[in-house]
Amino acid sequence: MLIEIWTKDALAVNEKRALAERLSRAGLPVKNVRLSRLYSVDAPWSARDFRALAEELLTDRITEKYSLSNRPGLKNLYRVEVWLKSSATDVIGESVKEAVHDLLGRPPKSVRFGRAYYIACASEAKLRAVVTKTLVNEVVNSFTVKRL
Amino acid sequence: MSETLSGFTSLDESRLAELDRKYGWSLNTAELKQAQAYFRAEKREPTRGELETLAQTWSEHCKHKTFSGPVRFRGKRYKNLFKETIVKATRKLNRPWCLSVFKDNAGIVRFGKSGKWGLAFKAETHNHPCAVEPYGGAETGVGGVIRDVLGVGLGAKPVLNTDNFCFGRLDSKTRLPKNALGPERVFRGVVEGVRDYGNRMGIPTASGGIYFDDGYLLNPLVFVGCAGLIPTDKIEKRTRPGDLIVSIGGRTGRDGIHGATFSSANIEEETSSSAVQIGHAINEKKVLDVLMRARDRGLYGALTDCGAGGFSSAIGELGSETGARVRLENAKLKDTRIEPWEIWVSESQERMILAVPPGKLSALEDVLNSEDCEYCVLGEFTSDKRLLVSFNGETVVDLPMAFLHGGLPNFEKPAALRKRPAHSPLLRAPVPHQKALLALLAHPNICSRHSVITQYDHEVQGGTVIKPLQGKYGDGPGDASVIWPHSATGDINDHAGFAVSHGFNPAAGRIDPYLMALYSVDEAVRNLLCSGAEISRAAILDNFCAASPKDPEVMGDLVRAAEGCYDAAVGYGAPFISGKDSFYNQSKDASGREYPIPLSLLISAVAPVEDVRRAITINFKEPGNTVYLAGVCRKGLGGSVYGEVYAKNDTLMRPLDIKAAVKLYAALLKAVKKGFVPAAHDVSQGGLAVTLAEMAFSGGLGAMLDLAGAASEKGVLEHELLFGESPARLVLEVAREKEKEFLNLVKGLPVKRLGVVLEAGGLELRLGAKTLLKEDLGVLKGCWKKDLL
Repeated sequence: MLIEIWTKDALAVNEKRALAERLSRAGLPVKNVRLSRLYSVDAPWSARDFRALAEELLTDRITEKYSLSNRPGLKNLYRVEVWLKSSATDVIGESVKEAVHDLLGRPPKSVRFGRAYYIACASEAKLRAVVTKTLVNEVVNSFTVKRL
Repeated sequence: MSETLSGFTSLDESRLAELDRKYGWSLNTAELKQAQAYFRAEKREPTRGELETLAQTWSEHCKHKTFSGPVRFRGKRYKNLFKETIVKATRKLNRPWCLSVFKDNAGIVRFGKSGKWGLAFKAETHNHPCAVEPYGGAETGVGGVIRDVLGVGLGAKPVLNTDNFCFGRLDSKTRLPKNALGPERVFRGVVEGVRDYGNRMGIPTASGGIYFDDGYLLNPLVFVGCAGLIPTDKIEKRTRPGDLIVSIGGRTGRDGIHGATFSSANIEEETSSSAVQIGHAINEKKVLDVLMRARDRGLYGALTDCGAGGFSSAIGELGSETGARVRLENAKLKDTRIEPWEIWVSESQERMILAVPPGKLSALEDVLNSEDCEYCVLGEFTSDKRLLVSFNGETVVDLPMAFLHGGLPNFEKPAALRKRPAHSPLLRAPVPHQKALLALLAHPNICSRHSVITQYDHEVQGGTVIKPLQGKYGDGPGDASVIWPHSATGDINDHAGFAVSHGFNPAAGRIDPYLMALYSVDEAVRNLLCSGAEISRAAILDNFCAASPKDPEVMGDLVRAAEGCYDAAVGYGAPFISGKDSFYNQSKDASGREYPIPLSLLISAVAPVEDVRRAITINFKEPGNTVYLAGVCRKGLGGSVYGEVYAKNDTLMRPLDIKAAVKLYAALLKAVKKGFVPAAHDVSQGGLAVTLAEMAFSGGLGAMLDLAGAASEKGVLEHELLFGESPARLVLEVAREKEKEFLNLVKGLPVKRLGVVLEAGGLELRLGAKTLLKEDLGVLKGCWKKDLL
């Protein structure tokens, strides 16, 4: 199950601006960007369990929203999904795994932590080049780019 | 036997070198031949594990063979450059308050008046890993230096982290080679790594600096430090035969293989990702909590951290006087797909090795289990002075400790004096002084670091008395941080603390490495003074970073800087208590040419603050108080930021009169301790004008100052007076009602009145009747307060 969490729009002005500036400095001027945190939880549980995880453990419900499916309301954007390679220790994933165990009393098989960036731009090739310069380090990260 | 390297003993030099490249050992020909000779005499071929062990133990990272080896320079031969400069100064000073120096993971000085506590301090670099993976590299750098403090004596409790970075200019236009990360990327990753590790460990990161120069474009420098408190009766450690070898903390995986040997190599395009280390602060916090409890209950006799070289270095070091028997099948693994020799040399993080008397294992296990900290018993220390390592009965390593630790061949390195750059004085300021001041305040090496500093938790533990950001609005720069370590001593009625500061000036080093060392020690000591610390008890750390020592001029720079360190330490009476060096900080640029860093020397200083409630900060405090300049303004712009921007060919750097500086500082400290001086700030990057601007806008108070009265060398020009960076100067705000007593204390010294602090208005600097510059505080601060990140 992939749990996606993001800052509510009204509170995300600074993080969006900072990301846009980083991309711009790397040569990709963009106007519309969004960020999300991703938790990939490998466990044979019900949607209700995952909702409990998202609501009670992973999301600050005052400032954030979550989704157990695709983040709604986004189109004409590229979605860049960044993960640590499986060979790299995922410290956040490990900590969340322990927290999930504490919360539900059952350990998931694994938890991995990642990030999603939603970026409006003209060229996927240019986006890929800039992403490798700014948002990922291919020594430890893997990433995918998908057009929404 | 596990994998045996058949035919090793009969390989010729070129085949040996080929083998070295293949396995990434970074051993040189003499070292490989030494190993070959040993196994020939033993009439057997080595195992992979044995050569890996030798490579780790003999690495630059572990043995510091460049700095500790022989070198010939200008007709003088040093047998051991480190011992004959850095250590020699400490031995000569012979301070009784130095409790443990150069023999453990960190230096320890006495702390407080009770005699119960020692203050451990250590700084080191993690440059190569940060160039490859800045976040992970910085995290594990911080984790490593914290473990050094945890592993000194029987364990010190960390109370402060320090961070000093060097990056390429963020606006650099230089084309980078394939796979090199851009400076912003490195900067951001390093800051986030230091932030996350320190914050998650609950240790304040409260002292440091950032330096931008394109010399660091391909090889960033990341100096991380840690200070901790240790009971004085826990400083001695001893491994006894029969003690169990217990590994606590993280599990062992394939991450970080060859980290130690990696630091002996230049970074090339295709660097192995296995050299990357991943940090896990929560695991290290568990280790910290276990150690503090187990130490106080006497559950182990010795410990050290698993740093470079992993088990091989840590167990080899702890058992160097006894011997050790290790069974690698007992190791807790992250992944079972790992070779025995990889378990042995893996640099997986957050692991410590303890020497535990068998009768105390059960009690230690209780503590470990209660803190949810993983552990394993790997074997035992023996009395046969051999290192015997096996995996399920198969021998991985069987070597005598004497060869492992004493077999490293020494070879003399040639050193040559680099030609000093030509000097062409700047006789006329190219821009109005006001414009120059605004440009300097916005310069990346001077402007505010708030966007970095505020990411760090510098308040955790509740003892950061003088903070990295100071002033009326809590956003001005600081010279030193002052820590009140009550979280470690548990005594809130004892107000003893300590100050930490740094001196760093690679721009000066490009001109004169000897003077760079003098200036850096002076700056560190002066920064301590500006917080009110007892500088007669200052202790210092040296951290050298350089390009390849195979270049005789790099070695020449190193020798000159080391000689400067000796003279400065002895002159200021400040012993070195620990240090570290990092070489091979050079890479090939996009055109395939070697791209070395400039010689870089970080001096970190620590000194006691008798009563933290009397420590001072840099900002002007009260209108009507008097402003004094202490020290002599000298000619020359060499090594200055003004010189970099406006006068690249002005390379004049004046000698430093240490005796005069010590005399001056001693008198000023008396004035500070008597409460006459509510604010002090050193004159360093940007010169006097920047110092005064920072004091004014940090306090939200103006000043009208006449520099005509400043003590100056004959012929000093206006721009040299305003922006020159000659050392041994500081600006003081003196309480109006204490001025007479202050003047009595500094009688006969170069301490001159410049003017007064004003309630309103900006900063006006005059030279007699002439206004040199006048500017509104908001404008000055607006230029300075840039977001670096």
